[in-house]
Amino acid sequence: MDLAAQLPLLLGLAWLAPLASFVAILFFGPKMGPHGRNAAWVATAAIVTSLVLSLLAAGSWLAAHPVQAAHHGGGQHGEAHAAEPAGHGADGGHGDHGGHAGAVQPAAYAGDWYTLYHGGNLRLSIGWYIDALTILMFVVVTFIATCIHVYASGYMHDELHDVTDHEVHLSGGGHLHRPGRFPRFFQALSLFCFSMLGIVIAGNLAMVFIFWELVGICSWFLIGFYYERKSASTAANKAFIVNRVGDFGMLIGLMALWGALGTLQFADSTTPAADGSAVTRPGLFSLVRPAANGHGIQVPDGMVKFAAANELVKTPPAEVPGKIDTWRSMGLGRWLLFIAGLGIFCGCVGKSAQFPLFVWLPDAMEGPTPVSALVHSATMVAAGVYLVGRFYPVLTPDVLLVIAYVGAITLFIAATIALVANDIKRVLAYSTVSQLGYMMLALGVGGWSAGLFHLVTHAFFKSLLFLCSGSVIHACHTNDMRKMGGLARVMPWTAGTMLVGCLAIIGAGIPFVIGLSGYYSKDAILAQALAFSRANPAHSILFLAVAGGAFLTAFYMFRLWFMTFAGEPRDHHVAEHAHESPMVMVAPLVVLSVLAVVAGWTLPGGFGLTNLLEQARPTGTAEGMTGGFAFGNLVFPAEHESHEGAIHVTATLTAFSTALAGVVLAALMYLLKIISPAVVATVFKPVYAFLAGRWYFDELYHALFVVPALGIAKLASGTDRGVIDRIIDGLAWGTRQIAGLDAWIDRTIVDGLVNATARATWHAGLELKKLQTGHLRQYVMFIVVGTVALFVLASLLFRTTMAG
Amino acid sequence: MSGLTMPGLMPLVASVVGDGVSVSHYLVVGAILFTAGIVCMTVKRNALGVLMGIELVLNGANVNFVAFASPYLRGQGATSLGIDGQVIALFVILLAAAEAAVALAITLAFYNNHATVDVDRADDLKG
Amino acid sequence: MDPAASLVQPALWPLTAIVFLPALVAAFLSLPIVPKAREEFIRWTTLLTTAVVFVLSLWMAWPQLFGAAGPAQFRLGEPGMQAMVKVPWIKAFGIEYLLGVDGISLPLVVLTTFLSMLAAAASWPITKHVKAYHVLFLLLVTGMLGVFVSLDFFLFYVFWEVMLLPMYFLIGIWGGPRREYAAIKFFLYTLLGSVLMLLAILMLYFTSDLRQLSPEQLIASHVVSPGLDAAAQADAVRAVKDAKAPVHTFNLLALAQIGQLPNSPFAATQLWGMSLEKWAFLLLLIGFVIKVPVVPVHTWLPDAHVEAPTPISMILAGILLKLGGYGILRICYPICPGAGLDFAWLVCGLGVVSMVYGAFAALAQKDFKRMVAYSSVSHMGYVMLGLGVWSAVAGHEYRWDAWAQGVNGAMFQMLAHGISSAGMFFMVGVLYDRVHHRNLEEFGGIFNRMPVYSGLAVAVFFAGLGLPGLCGFIGEVLVTLSSWNYSRVLAVVSAFTVILTAAYILWAIQRVYLGAEYKGPHGDHLTPITPRELAIATPLVFFAILFGVAPQILFNYVTPSVNRQVETLADWTRRVHDAPAAPAVATIAAPESTAR
Repeated sequence: MDLAAQLPLLLGLAWLAPLASFVAILFFGPKMGPHGRNAAWVATAAIVTSLVLSLLAAGSWLAAHPVQAAHHGGGQHGEAHAAEPAGHGADGGHGDHGGHAGAVQPAAYAGDWYTLYHGGNLRLSIGWYIDALTILMFVVVTFIATCIHVYASGYMHDELHDVTDHEVHLSGGGHLHRPGRFPRFFQALSLFCFSMLGIVIAGNLAMVFIFWELVGICSWFLIGFYYERKSASTAANKAFIVNRVGDFGMLIGLMALWGALGTLQFADSTTPAADGSAVTRPGLFSLVRPAANGHGIQVPDGMVKFAAANELVKTPPAEVPGKIDTWRSMGLGRWLLFIAGLGIFCGCVGKSAQFPLFVWLPDAMEGPTPVSALVHSATMVAAGVYLVGRFYPVLTPDVLLVIAYVGAITLFIAATIALVANDIKRVLAYSTVSQLGYMMLALGVGGWSAGLFHLVTHAFFKSLLFLCSGSVIHACHTNDMRKMGGLARVMPWTAGTMLVGCLAIIGAGIPFVIGLSGYYSKDAILAQALAFSRANPAHSILFLAVAGGAFLTAFYMFRLWFMTFAGEPRDHHVAEHAHESPMVMVAPLVVLSVLAVVAGWTLPGGFGLTNLLEQARPTGTAEGMTGGFAFGNLVFPAEHESHEGAIHVTATLTAFSTALAGVVLAALMYLLKIISPAVVATVFKPVYAFLAGRWYFDELYHALFVVPALGIAKLASGTDRGVIDRIIDGLAWGTRQIAGLDAWIDRTIVDGLVNATARATWHAGLELKKLQTGHLRQYVMFIVVGTVALFVLASLLFRTTMAG
Repeated sequence: MSGLTMPGLMPLVASVVGDGVSVSHYLVVGAILFTAGIVCMTVKRNALGVLMGIELVLNGANVNFVAFASPYLRGQGATSLGIDGQVIALFVILLAAAEAAVALAITLAFYNNHATVDVDRADDLKG
Repeated sequence: MDPAASLVQPALWPLTAIVFLPALVAAFLSLPIVPKAREEFIRWTTLLTTAVVFVLSLWMAWPQLFGAAGPAQFRLGEPGMQAMVKVPWIKAFGIEYLLGVDGISLPLVVLTTFLSMLAAAASWPITKHVKAYHVLFLLLVTGMLGVFVSLDFFLFYVFWEVMLLPMYFLIGIWGGPRREYAAIKFFLYTLLGSVLMLLAILMLYFTSDLRQLSPEQLIASHVVSPGLDAAAQADAVRAVKDAKAPVHTFNLLALAQIGQLPNSPFAATQLWGMSLEKWAFLLLLIGFVIKVPVVPVHTWLPDAHVEAPTPISMILAGILLKLGGYGILRICYPICPGAGLDFAWLVCGLGVVSMVYGAFAALAQKDFKRMVAYSSVSHMGYVMLGLGVWSAVAGHEYRWDAWAQGVNGAMFQMLAHGISSAGMFFMVGVLYDRVHHRNLEEFGGIFNRMPVYSGLAVAVFFAGLGLPGLCGFIGEVLVTLSSWNYSRVLAVVSAFTVILTAAYILWAIQRVYLGAEYKGPHGDHLTPITPRELAIATPLVFFAILFGVAPQILFNYVTPSVNRQVETLADWTRRVHDAPAAPAVATIAAPESTAR
């Protein structure tokens, strides 16, 4: 079977298997065994299916594209991949642009399954974009998800019977009793995996956005799993709304791209035209990095035209093509490209919990621990980094600098907060935020492969760490590290695997010889940051942030380990109940810890993650880049240059020494108790309070955004009632007044006249009545007098005739 | 009534005080009778007196009818028999008789009900 | 035309039956032979009638379901008017009984019949004056359907008014505590709109002149029936062309043809310093936006929705609001294209203001139903924005497809909102029927008390939130994406709404469905959802998911007609509007579908 047809099929099925599980559990969950016990099997079977299919896809991929050692040697780079079959354009794959020297198209397959909307030249579709990165992410996500599914089937066993939730206090006193929700958990977990895989396989930004939102809502379900707890439902809402803030930016980025370019496809797409011939439309990657420009970044024609139309006078269409180059050299459209990149990055800021939107992630600890593990390692937060990596060709130097600084700020803030946190999961949460800052920073300083490499290694050891913490929580029924201590004796497996995780995250290793997975990825990041700092001295603070972050990471991770596992138990009540977790929970820990050790290794012959990632390296990013208009001219050194001696040695030594310093300090304070943490906290009281208060970001945002938003909301609602309705009611009142006046005129004047006439007649009748005396003699008198009077009158009136 | 002139009255007076008995004399008698009747009707409170007054008025009129039926007053070419006045007078007498009968009956009924024949007390139909 | 022949038109009976069957049954129910006490009979009759009408409309829209397609059924992919009915009505004024459907109106007709059926089923809890209620309800259905299918402006207006009165009584008699205030407010607002609309109708009628149209246009606009043979057509055309005095018309298609002429009398006639076209556009627009409704003429909506009984709220939000958008799309733009172009900023601006304002106002509500009502204001803002994005002239090109995307998005949003808002109101109604209050602060824990209901409700609210995979998403995204080409500022503001939408919907869900325990009165009445309620909620959720996952089902109907209209108007912009300024422009973005 042709690879181009095989991969979408395999990965497509791997993607849909969790959806099938979701639907099955949605409808039949409670019927799956007692209390829905078998739902775990359904969900696990689905994710294992995905894993197997992903591995199959990876196998086919590796068979067709063997991973080789990259020859990091300047101009040699292009030839390193020359052996790859570059053209897969026949059915929607990338066109063959491999002929251009120094820039090789990565092997990628793209196509559409399904059209959501189609009108004119505009098309929104559900499709795939598969390259080495996609496959790698599929394997990582499904693998970690499998471990977590297995782990969760043990961890969540409380939900198999009725649950008493001790954190919910009812108004009538007592705690909430509720039936277990075992199937519901796995249902949401399956949907979560489906959504995440959707982002990974997405062939266009619209599809990314769709699954982006779905991941958000899945996190809402899972973080709010204990929805009876106010804190859990609030955390779930917070996660989703903060993510929506990022999505707002992402939507702007989408609009900027869509409005000017009319496409959101990553790769070139071929659609059959009406006359049967195939029409190839360039995707975003080749629009922004056209082959004609040597795959260097440039403002695409569409954006130039768009900006020109807005900023200049209207030009007759016939003259437009001739003027585009002039316009581009004038700088038209570069803001548009900047905004597009920044907007997409905004989405990543939300999803990957970067400054300033990282506030949701620590709160997301309200969810069950397996969810935290999944959210924090391979899904959701990984999505943001993945998208930056996927979208990398379109990001301009200015955007990258913003990304680098956001990453630096994030890693620093989060690491400082993690120093003082006492909740075991919160320490890990801030550690995640900090590590994500690392990844972003790496991507931002041009370390495409370094950032994504760290994403993968971090996925392994962070899921390991979370599952270990889950195991601890499972044993202690508390999250508070101050109540733990000395657990290594009762939970040797957990303690050991967690130690592996801690060592991996701090990048432990024997310099230049061998190390845990984190050693390699962190080194790569440090090296790239150093190279960038050297090339751009103005931004050397970025390197300092990375180096300082390494120290902080080492400190807080070992603080965590020492507080939890070493020393004497602090709370005997907790210590007595502690026990090692069941096999179903320990096994994933062991598997993950093995991977946390070996994931960074490159085998002899070149097989390893970095070289696999190099296969997916976006065209034109291998050579480094210079440019930028908003923040001065920036130089992005090529990534392979950072592997060269001078930089690499410095970076490795920096990493090693800072990490060692951190571990030593932690040991001094928490293991050997030579420095008392309490004294340190008292001495640096304001700083400690500031950090313990998490830099007061929640309070700041509440005051800056939530309160004004609610105020505006009240105002809007009040305007309706108080102004618009008043006006409407006033108009109605005025109309009624006018009507009243009308009625008054009718009553008094018109009716008055008629009534007066009637009354006058009536009164006349009354008066005349008095003549009717009933006296006969009077009547006779009247007759006589009247007759006489008539005669007299007649004689007066008709005098002439009578005279005549 | 100053300035009021009655052109037709002077010849009438002249003819009355003048020679022989003429129509005018009859008319004067009729007028006296009529006036006497009217006066009688107005001043009498006794219903019977009022009835008498009516008789006088009717007779005064009868006198006039008869007087106007005189050949002297009839113009040339008249086609009637010349006794129209007398016929009408007979009718009047007839009617007066009937009327008197009815009026007396009413008076009797009134008397039965009110024990009086004073017309001033007969104001039951007053408006 | 021979009256006898006119009665054998292929589409006469299906369309007529769809429109008038409810009125006929209403007439029957109002007869004294139907005793008031037989409430079940009346309810079932109504439900059956609406079901029959729904099946009839489905028969038209989806012939494959019923076997081979007949001449009166809808041919998918054909952009023009179909299933035309043309019977002279008032000959002295050229008023005709002119009905027809195209891809724009047919989905709305099916939506109307569908929601009417569900609303009839949702009317079971109505116990007061059951007979009168159902009679008025059926009349309302006739009015709404008539508006969607009539192509004669006068007929349109008649149906428009027919719809108004039953609604007034339905709110005013069967409503909540402030029902009279709400009913009068609704009535006055909409009546004001109707009056202005009537003014515009008369303006257009007396300015129109059929003699300006070519014979082909006369036939295309069904002034001269295309069903006649050639000789009869020629006669009819000659009768129009040779007329001594101007031949006025109420025919909407003909009015559109006249409005798009290069020498359109609507644009040429001046009235108090503005062309008649603009006056008419503005008057019609006011009439329609009151129905949509947009800020600041929206305040009837929260009151009417809150006070109306549940099924009427469903109809109000699901269908009545769509009439405004439909009117703008069907009447304002084609007949007054120049004014539409000049006032695009107004339409878009009103849309965006409504979106943001409605969302903010929804955030502040304490009353569950009022919150849903304001969400309607916000969601219908998307419709306005999508209809208004006149980006045919964006850039140096006539990008008709960007505009078409907005209009398609607006159409989709109308249909999607019809489902999601009706669903939301129904969900609120289910709770209200049990606990008789709607105070958001006094709910909580419903998820544990009524799990199935809550699951469905959350799905419906997520559809309102614009979650991908549910129907609300597609329309919002298409509209938002298309608005960038019209105005960056409006686009950004409209994108900002997604945050607010998430905030008010999630907050409401948290307060009502999540939490540990129910905080309000009548907690023991929170019984699980009944089969009847389930039968209403399930189809709504089903379609919310179906249209979210497979929007092409609707786009297959909508897109051909919308695209043709937009293409025509974009072409008009180039040919007529911009002709003197830039004579040598050409369409760069060549339309893929059949250009006309």
